[in-house]
Amino acid sequence: MRISPFVLLILGCFSSGLLTATAASPPKPSTNQYSNVVSALKTLRETEQAPSIEARRIALETANAFTNEGFRVRDGEWSPWISKNAPVFLQVTLFAGNRYWFVAATSVPGTKLRVSVYSAAGKPIKGEQWQDPQGKDCSRAAAGVAPEQSGEYIVGVEMLDAPGTSPVGSCLVYAYQ
Amino acid sequence: MLSMMAAQGLGIGVLQASTEALTSLQKEGAVFTDSMSIPSPGEVFAALNRSNRPNWATLVATATAPTTTDRQQMALAVGVLAANGYIAVEAQDGQQVKNIGKEINSLAKSLGVSQSLLGRGNSLMEFADHNEWDSLADELEATENEIKNTMVDQKDHDLVILTSVAAWLRGIEVASGVVLADEGLKGASALRQSELASHLAAQIHSLPGHTSEQPLVVAVGKTMDSIASLLNEQNIPAEKERINLQKILEDTGVLVGMILSSSDPTKAPGAANTTPSVTHSGKTP
Repeated sequence: MRISPFVLLILGCFSSGLLTATAASPPKPSTNQYSNVVSALKTLRETEQAPSIEARRIALETANAFTNEGFRVRDGEWSPWISKNAPVFLQVTLFAGNRYWFVAATSVPGTKLRVSVYSAAGKPIKGEQWQDPQGKDCSRAAAGVAPEQSGEYIVGVEMLDAPGTSPVGSCLVYAYQ
Repeated sequence: MLSMMAAQGLGIGVLQASTEALTSLQKEGAVFTDSMSIPSPGEVFAALNRSNRPNWATLVATATAPTTTDRQQMALAVGVLAANGYIAVEAQDGQQVKNIGKEINSLAKSLGVSQSLLGRGNSLMEFADHNEWDSLADELEATENEIKNTMVDQKDHDLVILTSVAAWLRGIEVASGVVLADEGLKGASALRQSELASHLAAQIHSLPGHTSEQPLVVAVGKTMDSIASLLNEQNIPAEKERINLQKILEDTGVLVGMILSSSDPTKAPGAANTTPSVTHSGKTP
């Protein structure tokens, strides 16, 4: 049985004494104290890896759609935390003649993602854009490029819209042909 | 074409692309990761397949891991063998892929990072037996990454860099050979990776003392510096480009030979050509 990282985190907090202070305080902690613990755990939960794992699954599932067209999905991923209007960037090396699809995903419904590809000089590269048309249980976006020159490029992942203000775990993968 | 595939594979949903250029802060803040920023040999070979259609069968190398207890050399050898695996896949040489898989597993055991590979070996054999070349390439990359992930878990991040650099070097060796075989140097654009070469060279030089002073790692650092410098020369006459590529081919060939050598790698034939100043202490006279 696989124990979730969140459960391990809570067990770890107890065993390390992080939460025993609360348990050793008054026998009946106030609602306020409970809510503080719940709030702290919620924050911990938001920063644990699980959302990224789910985002990775969604991103890979999406990228796998291209394998039918002869694309090969790279066995690697980048899992940055993203916030609204605070894009994040990754260096990549692309080859002229190859075609690429970069796919980003989050497991948070209602987020609106955009993937962009830039030259090493920072200029946007013309290509195809795709965004999840449904986005009920997740959010996905992709950018497809066929670079004319080999060399360094930069891939950007940005969250154009989000239901909340907290950073969201995301995952970027790519497929090439 | 790309949009057609997107429509078929994912459903239609078009979004306006970003039209704003990046600020220098954004460019400088771009992250470099081992698994995404360093192209796999498969990507380089895919580009070469389009431009040069190489005869991969002539490029397949025999799979022999070095007999050594040196962890740095073993990590470098994993990278070279993984790249050789891609060549064998391109050549559709199932037996060679199996042999390479066995050698990589053997190195992983010696490095103490084989626990994550249980089952991978069987998959390689099965895919090779059924001529499932795409699956084999995926499995090779997954195997290399499992080894790297275990290295990271075991706080051996230095070894990850060595494995990645070695795979890249072997890819560059093959690519330069393929390009040089063409009179017009067709496919040379696949070698335009000067920024990446500089980045990898810097990573090698930033390794901690006990790793960076190992003679073979010193040789890798020197070769990376030389390659980065040669690749950085752009818009040069064809004849000069040919000379540069020839130098890259020779240097990487010697280095790969040293990595796979079971005797003292720095005394391997040709080693003196690449690393004339390397001594056993790793110091330069």
